[in-house]
Amino acid sequence: MAIKKILFPTKFRELSFNSLAQLFALKDAGLKEIILSHVISREDVGFVPFGGYLKEEEDRLREEATIRFEDWQKSLEEKGLKSKVVIKVGEPVPQILHTAEDEEADLIVVGRKKRTLNHPFAGSRTIEIVTRSKVPVLVSKYLVSYEVEGENLEKINERIFERPMLVCDWSEPSMRALKLMKSFQSVIEEAIVFHDINVEKIHEKYEDSLHELKKVSIEKLDMVCDELKEEGAGCETHLGAGKILNEIIRISRDRRATMIVMGTSGKGRLSEFIHGSVSHSIVRESELPTLLVP
Amino acid sequence: MHGDLGEILPLWSTIPFVGMLLSIAFFPLFAPRFWHNHFGKVTAFWALAVLTPFLIVYKGLALYEFLHIVLADYVPFLILLSALYTVSGNILLRGTLVGTPVVNTGIMIIGTILASWMGTTGAAMLLIRPFLRANSHRKNRTFMVVFFIFLVANVGGSLTPLGDPPLFLGFLRGVPFFWTFQLLPQMIVVAVALLVLYFIMDTYYYRKEDIPAPSESPEKEALRIDGLHNLIFLAGIVGAVLMSGIMHWGEMSILGVHRSTADVVRDGILIFMALLSWMTTRKEIREDNEFTWFPIQEVAILFIGIFLTMMPCLKILQAGEKGELAFLIRTVNEPFHYFWITGILSSFLDNAPTYLTFLSSLLGKFYPGVEAKEAVALLIQEHSIYLKAISAGAVFFGANTYIGNAPNFMVRSIAEETGTPMPSFFGYMIKYSIPILVPVFALITLVFYW
Repeated sequence: MAIKKILFPTKFRELSFNSLAQLFALKDAGLKEIILSHVISREDVGFVPFGGYLKEEEDRLREEATIRFEDWQKSLEEKGLKSKVVIKVGEPVPQILHTAEDEEADLIVVGRKKRTLNHPFAGSRTIEIVTRSKVPVLVSKYLVSYEVEGENLEKINERIFERPMLVCDWSEPSMRALKLMKSFQSVIEEAIVFHDINVEKIHEKYEDSLHELKKVSIEKLDMVCDELKEEGAGCETHLGAGKILNEIIRISRDRRATMIVMGTSGKGRLSEFIHGSVSHSIVRESELPTLLVP
Repeated sequence: MHGDLGEILPLWSTIPFVGMLLSIAFFPLFAPRFWHNHFGKVTAFWALAVLTPFLIVYKGLALYEFLHIVLADYVPFLILLSALYTVSGNILLRGTLVGTPVVNTGIMIIGTILASWMGTTGAAMLLIRPFLRANSHRKNRTFMVVFFIFLVANVGGSLTPLGDPPLFLGFLRGVPFFWTFQLLPQMIVVAVALLVLYFIMDTYYYRKEDIPAPSESPEKEALRIDGLHNLIFLAGIVGAVLMSGIMHWGEMSILGVHRSTADVVRDGILIFMALLSWMTTRKEIREDNEFTWFPIQEVAILFIGIFLTMMPCLKILQAGEKGELAFLIRTVNEPFHYFWITGILSSFLDNAPTYLTFLSSLLGKFYPGVEAKEAVALLIQEHSIYLKAISAGAVFFGANTYIGNAPNFMVRSIAEETGTPMPSFFGYMIKYSIPILVPVFALITLVFYW
């Protein structure tokens, strides 16, 4: 599991290139190529009421995207990275997922690059891609405005691979997330490994079990940390106790994490509706870029 | 009680209706980008142009008439169209089809038959992508799409109220569900003539293009239909529409407008069928079908404008020779007059309002002042040839231009998107509809209306 090829879909919104530039760091971890992709919404060019298809408009939008991408491709070339441009017409989510499959991308980078207050950090399309993608998805959040205890803060997420925080629940996806994180170990300065024990859910009569659980969890966290330290990166462990969403956000802020890495269970919409999804909640509510591994 | 309105309305009160229809006709032609981005505002303009003065002058009476046309015509029309569009969008034909003349003609025949049961829009949307994929290796594809528009998007929809919007509007006004089957002989004549011509043209081009034999084509995938269970919901839609024509459960009042309880139940069932279809079909099927709500949203927006602006025109026509359009009613007398005038106007204006306009004119001519459903029943008993003429004219002539019927532009858009060059608005008429369709319609006139 290594990130050699990244799919970077974009709508050319403000700060998109800054977000792309964050990925250049992965070259030292084996990144070879970035697929630059743009989906022209069918609604922008097709089904003119009682008319037809705006072919000239499609050509214009393609040309615009090509020119913008050419500029980006120069920067990629300067960094020694290969690039390819894919421009399609259609519905964005399926087109992005198909492109990832066709191009055999190892990672999809999505998400609005600028988020202001009163908006979740990820929109419905991002969540849909996260839910349906068969490959890891990085929800990029370059410039974010958020609120902490009534205070409005603004932050630029730079050097996102320096202090990633791995959220472990020992499930297969979270172990795959560990594996992915190891693949870019060379660009990590210090990793943070986190596990949460939801004390509220454990009844008093299981108090002995709680101590045992805590002990086992710490041991497991240390083992994960040891794996990450093998390549020379630093690592620290943290055990949370409480509602997992709050704990992830609290620890990530306290420990100045630059990114949250976690596995996703790939729950369907119905399951997510009933049980909720921690990974999706983190995507929506944490101000940090979130790397989700299916 | 409201019949008097048609007798006092001036002719200029139809200007917003004419403006709305001319906007649909000319904006896509001369300012497509503007129209694509602002058709909603144009529609709102014409709707307000009729609503504002009417509400100021006629107050409660105008409000009632507008509510009536929205609740009794527009809402059921949109529900039926959306339900058929949703269910057909959840059915996907997969597999390798090789576009030979026989296969293509077969698709046309299937589409023509399906159109009366899943709507011209539904049948066209179901088959156009597989049809284009099957012929992607062919050089001359334009004429194929044009014949597809002729047959699947128009002529095929002539047998039931599900087939084409004008017939459903007729059904809502009291035309029995199976009455439209009386158009079968005309439909067969038109369809056979077009299919024979299509087969000859396709065979000619197929030979000229020197296409490799199908066995030489790589990676053949077996044909299969995904989402086949949606046929149950399609049957549910047919059953619900039939039911509403048979059952008489009294009336109910919605915002002061009396509606048949069976019609309200039908609309509820149609929505339920669409929801069931949506929920029980994998999203991937819709995605592979390139399903989008956009065309239905467009139709919803445009048709609220059409239905609202149409009201004064319908009222005047219903007033018969007492209304300002008496000259039209006196001039148009013979069935073939109705066939051609409804047809020609349906070619350039949307066929649904055109049908309703001429149905109203017939009712005004023969039964002025008589309640609509009663008048329709009398029309069928005493002058059914006139109803056949406007039904056939509205459905068949819809194929004459891109703007004659809603699926025409959807098919054109999909064909152009996938790289099939399509003729311009006038090119379509000059190269195809005038030389091919007009002689066929002349034949229909001679055989059925002379």
